[in-house]
Amino acid sequence: MEDSSKEEYKIHSFEPETQKLLKTALKDPGLVDLETVCNIIVDQSLKDQVFSKEAGRMCFTIVQAEAKQNNSSVFRRHLLNRLQQEFKSREEMRKRSMQEWVCYVSFICNTFDYLKVNNIPMMVLVQPVYDCLIRLAQPDALKNEEEVDCLVLQLHRIGDQLEKVNGQRMDELFFLLRDGFLLQNDLSSLARLLLLEILEFRAGGWSLSDTAQKYYYSELQD
Amino acid sequence: MRMRGARGEGGGTYAHFTQNAVGVSRELIVDGLYRARGARFVELSSALPLTVQKIMSYHHKHSGDNDYRSGENRNKGPRWSHCRKRDADGNVRRSRDESETNTSDRRGSNRPECFTTPESAGPVSRIKDWAEEVENDEMRTNVRRDIERYRRRILTGDVAQRERKASSGSSDSQDSRGSPVPGDIETDEAVLMRRQKQINYGKNTLAYDRYIKEVPKHLRKPGVHPRTPNKFKKYSRRSWDQQIKLWKVKLHAWDPPAEEGSDLQAVDLGEVMDFELDVECSVDPEIEASSSKTNTSDFELSGTPHKMMKIDEAEMA
Repeated sequence: MEDSSKEEYKIHSFEPETQKLLKTALKDPGLVDLETVCNIIVDQSLKDQVFSKEAGRMCFTIVQAEAKQNNSSVFRRHLLNRLQQEFKSREEMRKRSMQEWVCYVSFICNTFDYLKVNNIPMMVLVQPVYDCLIRLAQPDALKNEEEVDCLVLQLHRIGDQLEKVNGQRMDELFFLLRDGFLLQNDLSSLARLLLLEILEFRAGGWSLSDTAQKYYYSELQD
Repeated sequence: MRMRGARGEGGGTYAHFTQNAVGVSRELIVDGLYRARGARFVELSSALPLTVQKIMSYHHKHSGDNDYRSGENRNKGPRWSHCRKRDADGNVRRSRDESETNTSDRRGSNRPECFTTPESAGPVSRIKDWAEEVENDEMRTNVRRDIERYRRRILTGDVAQRERKASSGSSDSQDSRGSPVPGDIETDEAVLMRRQKQINYGKNTLAYDRYIKEVPKHLRKPGVHPRTPNKFKKYSRRSWDQQIKLWKVKLHAWDPPAEEGSDLQAVDLGEVMDFELDVECSVDPEIEASSSKTNTSDFELSGTPHKMMKIDEAEMA
């Protein structure tokens, strides 16, 4: 956050002009049109899965810079409006492009993770984030490894925060995950593995025991 | 939850299901309620243009609020946001922001610290506008922080010291009348939020930016320069609203010079006089010309209508 080098924010894939714009937005948000900046970031997030996983941090930096410089929150307003707008048509989005949908979930979760208001998570995003994750836990989504992978990653990152603010919906989500793991015959073994791991992860208080860690990750290292 | 019942394959599931029957049915109800609300929200939000929604939410939130001013304030929105409000980049703000001051959040005001879930009791359903909701939350936490600070300041006698200094000349008059006792400050969060919104609205103007730049704090004179009303003091709604009005009128003296959108400026100021003061104070020609004047203090001393100053004094006392 302090260091706004382009490597940190993964903006090297943008056009040089756009990179310049983003860099200015990070340092001196008063000089740029923040709606444009917001749309660039959201559009890119919806296309680029890697970017969507870290874009929230960049957004947070801009929000902070703007608050400090102008005591305003124009960027945040545009960002939330855009997120809400996309949220409303999420089901169509999912039908249209699985990739975009997965990117969207990743982005909204990352925004929830990074963008705090007075050091408190943005409560307004709690239900939408749950809605997205619960959508990913439906039987048709569990068949799709891409969606399971996304779901599990988000829970690894923000599961504990979400549970703290609304444990009831986390229970609801995990009922679905257990059901899927146990009863759904059409899951791939990778999907099952991911589900089993996240079930253990939450059961262990949002962390894995050493032995579980070894079980799930030792294969990867070899 | 529902999936389990609906799918229902395998004996194991059924056993599990009956075992949890009580819990399940309760959750189903809660979940059902929540869904219903959610559905209503989606329906509403997709069917209506944003402005209509805002008005609706405004009406909804203020349904128990029979203060005559609420309606009047709402009418002011568009005019104030027209040409006076600025975005971070200094551009004129778009009309979406109009409703910012008007939609005070009933539901939010009595929410507990940990925030409620949509399933909780209460007539208001899910959030209409994420950005607005976050801004409300932010303001609420800021107000809470401010009130703690203000309490500390009173307790540590900081206020008293300041007032002593103030009486020797420079700072302020309003605050020094009747020093606040810790038990005697406004703590109603709904009131504080509403006041804070009004203050923010006044501060979010080009005139305010120019004012704080041109007149450093130590040079501001009571009765001459605008002073932000103290939101923590107990005032009647009427008195408070009047203070805000007078404060904003005073701030208009620092409106940007006429060169930038001159006719708008003049017309607007006239309107402000008519609508906001609602008294027959003929608009001093000097005020009309004020946009091009340079010495603001002189103007304030000579050009402010006498009547207005009187109201000011009376209200502040």
